[in-house]
Amino acid sequence: MAYILQTNHLSKIIGGKELVKDVSLHVRKGEIYGFLGPNGAGKTTVMKMITNLWKPTEGSIEIFGERLTPQSYGVLKRMGSIIEFPTFYDHMSGYENLKLHTEYMGYYHHGSIENTLDLLGLTEAAGKPVKNYSLGMKERLGIARAILCRPELLVLDEPTNGLDPAGMKQIRDLLKTLCKEYGITIMISTHILSEVESIADTVGVIHHGRMRKEIRMEEIRQMSLACIELSVGDRKKAAWVLSEKFGLTNFKIMEDGQIRIYDSRVSTEDLSKVLALNGVPVTALGKQAETLEDYFLKLTAEVRA
Amino acid sequence: MLKLMKLEWEKNNVRKYMRNAVILAVILCLFMFALAYLGIANDPETGVPDAAPGNGTISAPVELFTSMSFLVFTSVMLSSFIVSAYKNRTMNLMFSYPIKRQKILASQMLAVWVFNFTALVLTKLLIYGCVLAGSCFMVSSFPLDFDMTGAGFYIQLIIKSAVVITMSFIALFIGMAMKSSKATIVASFLLILLTEANIGDFTMAGNVVFPVILTVISLIFAFLSVYRVETNDLM
Repeated sequence: MAYILQTNHLSKIIGGKELVKDVSLHVRKGEIYGFLGPNGAGKTTVMKMITNLWKPTEGSIEIFGERLTPQSYGVLKRMGSIIEFPTFYDHMSGYENLKLHTEYMGYYHHGSIENTLDLLGLTEAAGKPVKNYSLGMKERLGIARAILCRPELLVLDEPTNGLDPAGMKQIRDLLKTLCKEYGITIMISTHILSEVESIADTVGVIHHGRMRKEIRMEEIRQMSLACIELSVGDRKKAAWVLSEKFGLTNFKIMEDGQIRIYDSRVSTEDLSKVLALNGVPVTALGKQAETLEDYFLKLTAEVRA
Repeated sequence: MLKLMKLEWEKNNVRKYMRNAVILAVILCLFMFALAYLGIANDPETGVPDAAPGNGTISAPVELFTSMSFLVFTSVMLSSFIVSAYKNRTMNLMFSYPIKRQKILASQMLAVWVFNFTALVLTKLLIYGCVLAGSCFMVSSFPLDFDMTGAGFYIQLIIKSAVVITMSFIALFIGMAMKSSKATIVASFLLILLTEANIGDFTMAGNVVFPVILTVISLIFAFLSVYRVETNDLM
């Protein structure tokens, strides 16, 4: 499998403090990679190293099959990025800021600025100086700038900060479109899982500067994390019914008195019927699917414990 | 490089600085004119200029005040072009471009240098021109000691201006090291004290070797500012 971006045992130590330790992540060409982690986990540090703003203390980064060195300027031309908060020349208008960007990138494509402004819904505000922009507008202008020169790889560090839910959705849809239609590989970091859950193909979870897990979304979905939750009056009897009548071994009695059945073969209808026939009244019955949220929390909680 | 410099000017609102430089030049010019012909520096009792020894001729105050003003002006520009670009993180953006970082920084420094060098030379020419024009009608309190017809005058003027503006790189280095615009400007004031002030009869302003040494130091500092930018982390 060809990775468009790959880090090998990346570490960064600043002032004796280990910000990131032994991070190896792999981004496939043409996918959306969700880089997840709580605040201060080291997401920005990794992304700064990927965009060559910081140099790794140890380990290496490969982008487009090339090893990143302090002299790698060519790759920057093929990348678009927002690191931390996008900065602009405040006294200049949105349009002028983008224009300046194309000058520095050496990208001259007629109408590209207008199209991008339109895509982000900034056409009306284009002539206003950026200092009059709202937080959300600046964020969108930042995204506009990052995608302006049609990069092959987009590195976005918490790009939906300061956006309202509708704006977030708009950006999610936009990223999806960019990925599907233009084949742009996108790496997006966030501490809000729901932001990438629906669009990411792969997620990498980082916590306390270490990579906890890197997993394809498909795999997560396939993992049988679903269960049936059951509340009954007589737990002992219910357990007996479950093991004797259903032949189930894969269930657990929780601390709060609920019974969880991790077996996808049994249906809730059968359960309630058989339990009732055997004199076990069912007070509540429901299907539970472990959300990605739980999974994510579990991954980041392990270290703390 | 020229294009990068142009973009720097555009980004940093160079028109504002142009306006300010013109205002500064006019004020300096009026001041010098007043010094020469309105006798504002004259001792009321004797009627002769109350100047430090060795500063009795007109070129001394002209050089002193123009150098002083533009050294500060340059350091203000350097701090807003470079030091605050680091502080407000527009440098992050600049360093995400496929352009050698040394080149970016050098273009910023050069953009300021060229602007101020030109401004200083023009200001000096304006002042000397005005003083010379005034001498046709009035008698200057300070004897005129320059000759605008000789090439030597212009060469000296250009070299002196270049030295003064180059010196501001020392201030830039200090400002960058301390990550502070204020430090840049304060450092430029200290440089003025060092180079232009006199203690009794002793001054370093007239020394020939001193500016040469200072320029060399400035260039070393300029080099140091640019040198490590490739491999350093951008904080």
